[in-house]
Amino acid sequence: MSDDKLRTDGSGAMATTTKLRRNLERMTVEDIALYVVLVLAAGFYLVPIESGLVTSFKTGTAIIETAPFAPPGASGFTFEKWRTAIDALLRGMGNSLLYAVPATIISALVGSITAYGLTIPNWKPSYKALVLALIIAGIFIPYQAVLVPLTQFWSQWVQLGDLLSFVWALGIDDDYVGIVELVVTHVAYGVPICTLLFRTYYKTMSDEMMESARLDGASLRRVYRRIVLPLSGPMFAVVLIYQFTQIWNDLLFTLVIVSTESSAAAPVVLILAGLGTSMEGQDFALRMAGAFFAALPTLAVYILFGDEFAEGVAA
Amino acid sequence: MATLELDSITKTFQDGDEEIVAVDDVSMSIDDGEFLVVVGPSGCGKSTTLRMVAGLETITAGTLSIDDRVVNDVKSQDRDIAMVFQSYALYPHMSVRENMSFGLEESTDLPDDEINRMVSETGEMLGISPLLDRKPSDLSGGQQQRVALGRAIVRDPEVFLMDEPLSNLDAKLRAEMRTELQRLQNDLGVTTVYVTHDQTEAMTMGDRIAILDGGELQQIAEPLKCYHEPANQFVASFLGEPSMNFFDVTLDGDRLVGDVFEYPIGDDVRADLGETTDLVLGIRPEAVELVEGGADVPHEFGMTVDVVEPMGDENTVYLQFDPDADTETGATLVATIDGFTRVSEGDTVTAHIPEDAIHVFDRVTGEALHNRSMEDAADQVDLA
Repeated sequence: MSDDKLRTDGSGAMATTTKLRRNLERMTVEDIALYVVLVLAAGFYLVPIESGLVTSFKTGTAIIETAPFAPPGASGFTFEKWRTAIDALLRGMGNSLLYAVPATIISALVGSITAYGLTIPNWKPSYKALVLALIIAGIFIPYQAVLVPLTQFWSQWVQLGDLLSFVWALGIDDDYVGIVELVVTHVAYGVPICTLLFRTYYKTMSDEMMESARLDGASLRRVYRRIVLPLSGPMFAVVLIYQFTQIWNDLLFTLVIVSTESSAAAPVVLILAGLGTSMEGQDFALRMAGAFFAALPTLAVYILFGDEFAEGVAA
Repeated sequence: MATLELDSITKTFQDGDEEIVAVDDVSMSIDDGEFLVVVGPSGCGKSTTLRMVAGLETITAGTLSIDDRVVNDVKSQDRDIAMVFQSYALYPHMSVRENMSFGLEESTDLPDDEINRMVSETGEMLGISPLLDRKPSDLSGGQQQRVALGRAIVRDPEVFLMDEPLSNLDAKLRAEMRTELQRLQNDLGVTTVYVTHDQTEAMTMGDRIAILDGGELQQIAEPLKCYHEPANQFVASFLGEPSMNFFDVTLDGDRLVGDVFEYPIGDDVRADLGETTDLVLGIRPEAVELVEGGADVPHEFGMTVDVVEPMGDENTVYLQFDPDADTETGATLVATIDGFTRVSEGDTVTAHIPEDAIHVFDRVTGEALHNRSMEDAADQVDLA
């Protein structure tokens, strides 16, 4: 009752202000210095993003006349660059999704199954360690080191274009063989890190729970299907976000496998690389608009799986 | 329902170059429908033994048979065994009903409605029907414990294995569940192996108890037999709270000579001791009596009260032979006496150690040479 009264006569709000004032009074010089540094650091990281965003809405003259981080004036404001960027990139966006989504899902699934196998208790620890060491070694192979073997592999050893000839017969552009090659390449490259992440997660799962399931009559495969997989949600969020961002943003493999932005199967990164560059110089506004537009799917993935991501990282 | 036979079961672990023996040549046979409690201090190998029965650990040597069928190489899921874990090990993403149906779905071809009916029945029996649609995380510890039990019971297995299932509950709930588990096991008549470190559970629940220490089986017998006729000093010290009093003594004619006292013994006790002279005299705290009178009668000793721990129904009294002796080294005799007897610290009392209640152990091997006989103990109860 008395609480309600307090609130209705407004002294509740007063209490809050008093509390705030008391907190301020209690702050030491160190506290203030800490907050100043934090605010500066946040600003330092945010300025490039802010600059990019305002630049993408500027006309050519506004870019020359205003500071990079200053907002465009009413006269210098335009949606034109965004429109051009979307027109140019939309095709690539579809192509990117075409390989990024399957590659992400497949590498996460394969990683999860491999990790499950590596955490099964009745397997000799020395064997497990060897397999794990090999897999982890895979994480440290730099992209650049595999570029030549990768090209040879797809051009000489496995001629996927010929194998999939029945698909091209259906009227699909045979440039799309690059998409299939990208899926396979990214899965192969993503499995090690996915396995490692899942293994760490599965290590924390209760052994007794798995044993209980075994005693309940479930085979190894059934334990995975019915116990491990349903409980892997948070780690799948982490792996999906990580893998999707990696694959979506990767330029090197697309350059080697698809190579030209004129290809029908050109991914968004490839088109973005050439967007807004011409003999006359750089169109900064267009490049910024393109970059922001191309980053939208990765942002969407973060937002979609954000809660699970936090849970998975905490685990 | 089945019999369970452990024949010279041994388990060794490899730790670098070292070989650690966790379970050493343990043999026991458990009758159809029997409730066997395996008890011992932590690290004694009791859980490892249970896990070998479950098939979760391989057996290094020896044979394990269920109903005369050797199951050493049979996989866990094919042994028709249900196990209740200390952590309950419920599946967190499944409702209680799904948790309980899981085993039936995986191990049988029963149709869904039949499984549902069995789960509902078991739920009713355990009083968890209202919880069937909840997730384990919404349940209290006691309720989770019941679900874990239900998950085992609903499968109607050949053998139940329980690994300290009550140790995560609070004292009151633990006492309740102890009684309930016994009742359930009686009703179901399923052969049960129950592992615990709690001697109260061991004494009260089992048809028989098996006491393990250092991976070796010390004794397997009915609870009261283990209590009154322990096979060795370890069993004697492990069972009973407060634990049995032990005094190092040497046999000298017909007297046991200790550091601070001498204890005369009769012919039948003397006969049990044979040629062994390095002995340990044991006496249970509740067998010690505080009596009137001087200390010149044999078996009676003048002592000083050091500490009194009132428990309400009884007092635990720490007595010292020599009041000036250091508490650390001076021989202390613990006695449990009636709660209404008034004694306070510093009092001089006379303690009677009745000869028919003493135990004598070989100091080297620990083996019991003389025990109070169970008949004598029973007679006393009848007289009272």
